[in-house]
Amino acid sequence: MDHPILTYTKDAKELVIDSKEVLRYLGYGREKITEEDKAMVEKLLPEAVSVMHPRACYGRYELSFDEGNVIQLPYGTITSRDLTRNLMGCQELFLFAATIGPAFDTLIKKKRLTSVAEACVLQSVGAAAVEDFVENLCAFLSQEVQKEGYTTRPRYSPGFGDVPLNNQVGLFKTLQPAKYAGITLMDTLIMAPEKSVTAYVGIMKEK
Amino acid sequence: MHKLMTVMEAAKQGFVFFEGGCGSILQAAGLAPGELPETWNRLHPEIIQKMHFDYMAGGVNILKTNTFGANSMKFGEEGEDSLENLIHLAIDNARHAIKTIESGKDLAGNDLSAEILTKADTNHYVALDVGPLGKLLKPLGDLAFDDAVEIFKKTIQIGAAYGVDLILIETMNDLYEAKAAILAAKETCDLPIFLTTAYDESAKLLTGASPMTVVATAEGLGVSAVGVNCSLGPDQMVPIVEELYRYASIPVIVNPNAGLPRTENGRTIYDVTPELFTKSMQVLAEKGGRILGGCCGTTPAHIGAMIAGMDSLTPQAVTEKNDTIITSYTHGVVFGKRPILIGERINPTGKKKFKEALRNHDIDYILQEGLTQQEKKADVLDVNVGLPEIDEPSMMEEVIYELQAVTDLPLQIDTTNVEAMERALRHYNGKPMVNSVNGKQEEMDKVFPLVKKYGGLLVALTIDEAGIPETAEGRIAVAEKIYKEAAKYGIKAKDIIIDPLAMSISADPRSALVTLDALKGIKDRLGGLTSLGVSNISFGLPSRELVTSSFFMMALQNGLNAAIMNPSSAEMKKIYYTFMALAAIDENCTEYIEYATTLPAVAVVAAPAAGEVKTGTDTTAPGEQDPLVTAVVKGLKERSAALTEEYVKTKTAMDIIDGMLIPALDIVGKGFEEKKMFLPQLLMSAEAASAAFDVIKASMAARGAEQEKKGKIVIATVKGDIHDIGKNIVKVLLENYGFDVIDLGKDVPPELIVETVKKEDVHFVGLSALMTTTVPAMEETIKQLKEAGLDAKVCVGGAVLTQEYADMIHATWYAKDAMETVRIAEEFFAS
Repeated sequence: MDHPILTYTKDAKELVIDSKEVLRYLGYGREKITEEDKAMVEKLLPEAVSVMHPRACYGRYELSFDEGNVIQLPYGTITSRDLTRNLMGCQELFLFAATIGPAFDTLIKKKRLTSVAEACVLQSVGAAAVEDFVENLCAFLSQEVQKEGYTTRPRYSPGFGDVPLNNQVGLFKTLQPAKYAGITLMDTLIMAPEKSVTAYVGIMKEK
Repeated sequence: MHKLMTVMEAAKQGFVFFEGGCGSILQAAGLAPGELPETWNRLHPEIIQKMHFDYMAGGVNILKTNTFGANSMKFGEEGEDSLENLIHLAIDNARHAIKTIESGKDLAGNDLSAEILTKADTNHYVALDVGPLGKLLKPLGDLAFDDAVEIFKKTIQIGAAYGVDLILIETMNDLYEAKAAILAAKETCDLPIFLTTAYDESAKLLTGASPMTVVATAEGLGVSAVGVNCSLGPDQMVPIVEELYRYASIPVIVNPNAGLPRTENGRTIYDVTPELFTKSMQVLAEKGGRILGGCCGTTPAHIGAMIAGMDSLTPQAVTEKNDTIITSYTHGVVFGKRPILIGERINPTGKKKFKEALRNHDIDYILQEGLTQQEKKADVLDVNVGLPEIDEPSMMEEVIYELQAVTDLPLQIDTTNVEAMERALRHYNGKPMVNSVNGKQEEMDKVFPLVKKYGGLLVALTIDEAGIPETAEGRIAVAEKIYKEAAKYGIKAKDIIIDPLAMSISADPRSALVTLDALKGIKDRLGGLTSLGVSNISFGLPSRELVTSSFFMMALQNGLNAAIMNPSSAEMKKIYYTFMALAAIDENCTEYIEYATTLPAVAVVAAPAAGEVKTGTDTTAPGEQDPLVTAVVKGLKERSAALTEEYVKTKTAMDIIDGMLIPALDIVGKGFEEKKMFLPQLLMSAEAASAAFDVIKASMAARGAEQEKKGKIVIATVKGDIHDIGKNIVKVLLENYGFDVIDLGKDVPPELIVETVKKEDVHFVGLSALMTTTVPAMEETIKQLKEAGLDAKVCVGGAVLTQEYADMIHATWYAKDAMETVRIAEEFFAS
């Protein structure tokens, strides 16, 4: 088996960006959201969506476990109780990296100069957009393996729980997201473009 | 036997063929995930040599060394996998394959079949393959442009010194990185440079560049061939190749994937078979592709079939294209079709506030000037930051860089300082406009080499050693001289635009007529393009806009192609849109009609009456609240400004600030602290209050009064951290509450903070960090402030900070949000 790196894209217009969700990221309680608040978010959506370019790459790899919460990943071994719990029972996993693209970062930089309020709302719009894109990607990956009688586990990202963020280094080496999806890793282990997500998705036999 | 010739000579004669996929072949041969393919030059030379051999057996001319990812970020200087050793081995493998096939043998030493002998009887070249670095360049990522150039140089130096025939810069998905690689090649060797970039489904690079943008930029930098590779299958490349051929005066390269990969039973499948690939490539050759090969998923079978399929075709001619184009990092602006508006507002001449911004290093102010002009539909922004007391080269480089981080308009680098010009040209992302050179020999000797090296559209003023000619004839003669001198450097006439100079009619009543005659002569007799700083015409006269705009119309009528003007000027815009409609440039008057609906006579200007504004939250007291308080609480920017305009006529600044703005901000601040209002509302109110403050400031300035500040605060996002939104929120609020905020920006080294605190005698410092990885930089800053013996208290905040962290790094305070920072500052300065 070779390990191709495949890509997944989606038209930004098809992303579901729920203004309530955006407001929730901004700290609004669900019951307090007014029509006016929603309108404030919705006003910004057309321009925001016009600069989004959702793009992801992913690969499928073998996986094994050793004693003491040690997991053999394609780029090396890691020790993590949380990821072991997430991937337990899986023989394979997907690695993915997904983004809504660099132009969105530029838009936020520009808005910062004209309205910090709008820049701030846009931050959450971007978070909601990449979240929805990743949900779509995960549903797609799940479908892909279903044909073979497998199911997928909920995604888990480096930096969550006891999985150190420096796993990004190995993940980037394996998946080359710079080439396939235009996502890069900065020296701080933060990704550029900013609205990007990487994760592990376990693949297990359907019961 | 074939005739020996260089790769460029070969490309002049007919098709030239590149190899196809490399990475996909190595993966199929067992390259493990994450394994660096370049190490196979040493570990499996036989596989690499066989790949090259198989491609040549099908008729390939140009071999791509297995060095796609060979750069100093991945490989060190020592050992068998050093950068140098792997590049040498890669070239050895290619040369060995060439030597073998040219000796009539295969790699096992057997004689070649007659068929292969015929196909391999052609010129062979080794291209040093240079791929992207895997890092986004600043400002989008964290790799500095100059560092990228240095990294590329290391790779190219090794390859060039070891003997390759050309440099292939490929799979670039960012124009800026492509420019860094091209410059690195130019500054290292004289080999031909080929550039291929990777477009997405929308025919744009990842960072937004269109094919036209890439061609204009690459040709400006002097590449020998330009094209497209990777990410798409051949059929999807049709519109891209059409656009490349439409604008390129150099050969077009086409190296597609074999379609998009998918998996079947754990194997990678590419859908495009050699037969389908050949058919599609024939179409692409008809569209203008001349240097043809493949990328991921293509195999010797694909490329061999494709080469055989070209036998019956003749490539499209490489022709000189006469378009005058400048570009931003996304799109091009073409001169000669419609008048181009160049915004003149980024210029300190006669602008007190702008000068102040330059002296205070207030980059945001300059950027806002740029964004306003973009809003007002400028096509290009002129950038002039010359002021005797500042370091112009550094400022020019910084402003160009920062502007390109927020606007996608092309820029005009406006300076007479040669160092500033070079630094701007070097760091500009795209092909800029350069303002200016003139007919003085000394000036031409300085400026032409720069434009030759970096590319650009050069504005040439019709002045020479004898001054400004008084007649149109004289100015046309200077223009001719400039064209001639430029040609000596290989700068084409299409990359020069003549400025025949608009001079005030108050000094010489015939000056407008001379300029208009010159415009016409340059257009009709020299076939040249023209640009003018039109506002000069009215210097010294009252109601200048009237004269300037009328002259603008006359100049357009005489063929003016571009005007440096104020895009916010209503009179100028009237002329622009009416001229476009009358001259049938704006067909069906679409743009004119759209413009007309924005005119005040048509626009709806009804503002809500004071009593109508309701708040929708329970934090405002009912009934008696002043309309300005309501407007600020509601975050209504325009209304707050309008009300304040009224109030300043009858009330004192203190009454408005202390009696309305601060109470309004307090209402919102309290609502925020009680979680009844949220961050966007807090910020919108802050912006509404800012708008009101601006009105007050303007009115005080008009009366020569100064607003009293509560205290001076330095704020910064610490070194290594480029997230500044939190810091900006704090800044907006602090300024609203009357503090004098010195904002040092993001990624600020501790030394600069210490120096500023010392120089400005500041006692309150706000530091922000978003990431755990940059908290040490925050600690270091606090340490350095202490060591410098400065009496400065430090308030820290940011996503990862807690009271615990703050204590650990010896901060004076921890503020959980922007409002709390204001409270802390108020308390501190009150005591």
